[in-house]
Amino acid sequence: MTSETTTTDPAVAAAAAAPTGRVIGTGSSLVSRIPWTLIVFLIACSVPWVGGRYNTFLAEQIAIDALFAVSLNLLLGTTGLVSFGHVAYFGVGAYVCGILMKTYSVPFIIAFPASGLGAALFALVSGYFCVRLIKLYFAMLTLAFSQIIWAIAYKWNDVTGGDQGLPEIPFPNFDWLNHVPWLGDLKTSDQFYLLTVVLIAVSLAIIHRIVRSPFGRVLTTIRDNPERAAFIGVNVKLYQLAAFVVAGTFAGLAGALYGIFSRGVFADYVFWSKSAEVMIMTILGGMNYFWGPPIGAFALVWLNQEITDYTQYWPFFLGAILLLLLFGFPGGILGGIDQLWRRLRRARRA
Amino acid sequence: MAASFLFSQFMGGLTTAMFLFLIASGLSLVFGIMRVINFAHGSFYMLGAYLAWQGVQWFHPTGAGFWAASLFAACAVGALGAVVERLFFRSLYGRDELYQLLFTYALVLILGDAAKYLWGTDQLSVSTPPILTGSVQIFGATEPLYNLFITVLGPLIAFGGWLVLNRSGVGRLVRAAQMDREMLDALGANVGTIYTGMFVFSSFLAGLSGALVTPIQSIVPGMDVLIIVQAFIVVVIGGMGSFWGTFWGSVIYGEVLSFGILIFPGFSLFSVFALMAVILIVRPWGLFGRPL
Amino acid sequence: MRLQHCLGLALTVAVSAPLAAQAEDTIKIGFPIPLSGPTAVYGEPILKGAQMAVQEINAAGGVLGKKLELLPRDSKANADEAVRLSRELIIKDNVDFLLGTLTSAEAPAVSTVAKENKIVFMTPSSKSTILTDAQHIHPYIFRLASNTDVEGLAGAEDMAKFTNVKTIVTIAPDYAYGRDSIAAFIKALKDKAPNMQVVDSQWPKLGEPDFTAFINAMMSKKPDAVYCSLFAGDFVTFVKQATPLGLFKAIDNRMIDGGEVGTPDEAQALGADYPYGIIANAYDPVIWSGGNEPPEHKKFIEDLKKFTNAKYASGWSIQGYVMVEALAQGIKKAGDTKSDDVSKAMAGMTFDTPVGQRSFSEKSHETFAPEYTGVMVKDPDYPFAIIKDPTPMPTDFHPSN
Repeated sequence: MTSETTTTDPAVAAAAAAPTGRVIGTGSSLVSRIPWTLIVFLIACSVPWVGGRYNTFLAEQIAIDALFAVSLNLLLGTTGLVSFGHVAYFGVGAYVCGILMKTYSVPFIIAFPASGLGAALFALVSGYFCVRLIKLYFAMLTLAFSQIIWAIAYKWNDVTGGDQGLPEIPFPNFDWLNHVPWLGDLKTSDQFYLLTVVLIAVSLAIIHRIVRSPFGRVLTTIRDNPERAAFIGVNVKLYQLAAFVVAGTFAGLAGALYGIFSRGVFADYVFWSKSAEVMIMTILGGMNYFWGPPIGAFALVWLNQEITDYTQYWPFFLGAILLLLLFGFPGGILGGIDQLWRRLRRARRA
Repeated sequence: MAASFLFSQFMGGLTTAMFLFLIASGLSLVFGIMRVINFAHGSFYMLGAYLAWQGVQWFHPTGAGFWAASLFAACAVGALGAVVERLFFRSLYGRDELYQLLFTYALVLILGDAAKYLWGTDQLSVSTPPILTGSVQIFGATEPLYNLFITVLGPLIAFGGWLVLNRSGVGRLVRAAQMDREMLDALGANVGTIYTGMFVFSSFLAGLSGALVTPIQSIVPGMDVLIIVQAFIVVVIGGMGSFWGTFWGSVIYGEVLSFGILIFPGFSLFSVFALMAVILIVRPWGLFGRPL
Repeated sequence: MRLQHCLGLALTVAVSAPLAAQAEDTIKIGFPIPLSGPTAVYGEPILKGAQMAVQEINAAGGVLGKKLELLPRDSKANADEAVRLSRELIIKDNVDFLLGTLTSAEAPAVSTVAKENKIVFMTPSSKSTILTDAQHIHPYIFRLASNTDVEGLAGAEDMAKFTNVKTIVTIAPDYAYGRDSIAAFIKALKDKAPNMQVVDSQWPKLGEPDFTAFINAMMSKKPDAVYCSLFAGDFVTFVKQATPLGLFKAIDNRMIDGGEVGTPDEAQALGADYPYGIIANAYDPVIWSGGNEPPEHKKFIEDLKKFTNAKYASGWSIQGYVMVEALAQGIKKAGDTKSDDVSKAMAGMTFDTPVGQRSFSEKSHETFAPEYTGVMVKDPDYPFAIIKDPTPMPTDFHPSN
């Protein structure tokens, strides 16, 4: 990204110097040297063999939600932009990929990047207008844009299928895997799951690089103090727009995978309440941590399937979880653990 | 024919507009003073409708007693507003707007399911109060009395609200709280009470509009989410926090919708959101609001 | 405890979560249906009807010695949720069959899931033609309601009975069902009453809260009659706004509605506000005026009232009830619970319902199910409108396949 040009930026030094104040991720004991991300990745890859059909289904949902939530957190946690319409980019990606693959029989290898590109373009256009607004107006305009996408998806019958959606999106072609040991014997849905896991791992790695890059540090500075960032010569709006486009791109990629995973793209994917859901995921995990949103995605998918087994009042429980979060653990799950850990350490020292 | 038809279309738009104004004014009020977008405003509206139905069943099951039931519903929702503000909202004022948005969204989820639990999923309906069942002929157009009543009530409430906000002692404090909370606090005024009062009044309006809509609409689960999107659009067009702005925003929205279906039938959804986006881009503070 | 710990722990839990033990002695039926939102008013009674059928069948020993088990889920009347739930029911709960969905937005989407997973799926009330047309038909989809072509034909037949109607205005919700329904009506009208003309069509969205502008536009065309496909809460709202505007007076109550608004569900919701004198229909009129009620129907309604503990039964429960009964008969005929066998058994199968025999078309897997139609009248015994002499419509239907 623009990181090359910003290494000499004064903002970077300022941001880097600012204390993070977090315990998780620092420390140098033995546990921190274990490659946890690699282990999680390997566990995720093993699910089709050890977890069965349903756990693969859940794991795929969690993985896609995780990418979607991490992309939102690039705005929410990293840049401090409250987007209430992030689902628009997810939807654009899903529709671009779905329409290309179903209507025009374009192979996945082209449709997938195209969906990211489509989402990026829309993010560029809408973001250009959004970042000029402050706080609540920004949230409202992102909401308006997402509702425009929803209205188009809902009404443009010939292209999007309207209220009936676009079912029967084909899986990518996995014939080339047929002679690979282990992988060749898997069901197509499991092969697609593995592809999803790999693509999401790569995407998360890229976002992680971006957040930790000088560019990412500038974004954090903007979040903490936009006036100061502007004062030391950062083009705040430009950086915000860049973050917006990056976030939109990855949301679009997540959407493309989701459309294939759920075997169809529907207008409801783009309805505004879905933006609220992914936001809840992000905050549930902890928006101050890179791994917060994935953990939030995991927790929410798991809670959903546990609770809906017993009651049809899932929204009530989701609301209650949200209340608990807002008033009890504003830092989310990781924030709570962080606090607990800190308290324990203090107790040990005393 | 053409003139009377256009007139009835205009009056229809006006009725729509005044209903929206009743709902949106409360939303706009809370935004203007507390800088909070209250997603739960639609839920309060829905509760008002359900409580009005419940009131009619209690007071006079055959359909009379509508006025008592409406007042009861509005007051009950106002009381709920007081509880919500005192118990929860209060501790969120200093926090990021993200938390406030999500809190009101949590209310949407909880109140929606609560209504479903209490009243089930059956569609409910309330009869028009007997005194307003008829209709009158104006310029050759048939105008239902109940619609006329709403069309008159809207401007009355707008004018009343404007009077209170601009010509009374309470109003001065409210406007001061809107401009500089800390300063007012320092001067010894009880800002907390003002905030509670405004939130209760806003909830009261939501409950009242929910109750008043029952004679002409069915009460169904999901009416909360439908209305809040419309109310948002109105508030954005007119200007968030501006009372008269909301009024004119409602009129524009109502008339655009009413005449829109004549000009382009497939219209509405897209254009309405596009209008909202354009206004946010060009004049984020709305047509009649002032920049923050 | 570190971040990485939690992550590892959480994933281990997920991976090792035991699969739900699969009981061999039950037949599991996934049942996605709207239980919240504006269409839940029809979803709930359909579910109740299905539950009653399951109870009856199980009390009589089940099917092939196995008990039926219903797994209801709230589809919220949207395609996305219905598809997600159906897949979850198949993958997680290992259901043997899928029954359910209400609207024409949900059913075609769930149909693709059924096709991909090779599992029988029957839907009670979706009428949109694309569900079972040549392009979308597959061995596993079955539907219990007649499609919109039949509904439009019934409407045109009724309309043709009016002697002094020249111009007609239509109003229908702007989605698959409404569009198909009006198109079918216009097509059938050309055949049944070539002297009548549709002069205007209004398309409010599904769930429209304010019909005033649409009603004014309709009235400005000064029609002699109205054909309407509004249903559920939309119909209630429409009536409450149209009555004071004088629509029903202007057309002298010459309105025909094809959206099952003749049920007690709808009539009770409107009470005295019901536009008495219009022509409406129902899958099941529930209250059978005129005295030629089939005895099976009488018993069905009595049982239903007891089962739901309600004073008046719903006109939608029959769809859920018959759906389960038809599936049970299909399983019996097939001799096992494999979807491939049950599908073959049900194609062309004739089955009993409380309102007479029905059968699935062998080719299109549709049911020709006439709906009970008549003028809505006041009855001193009931505090709401009922269908006078419910008559099965249409009469002039010839299955074309």
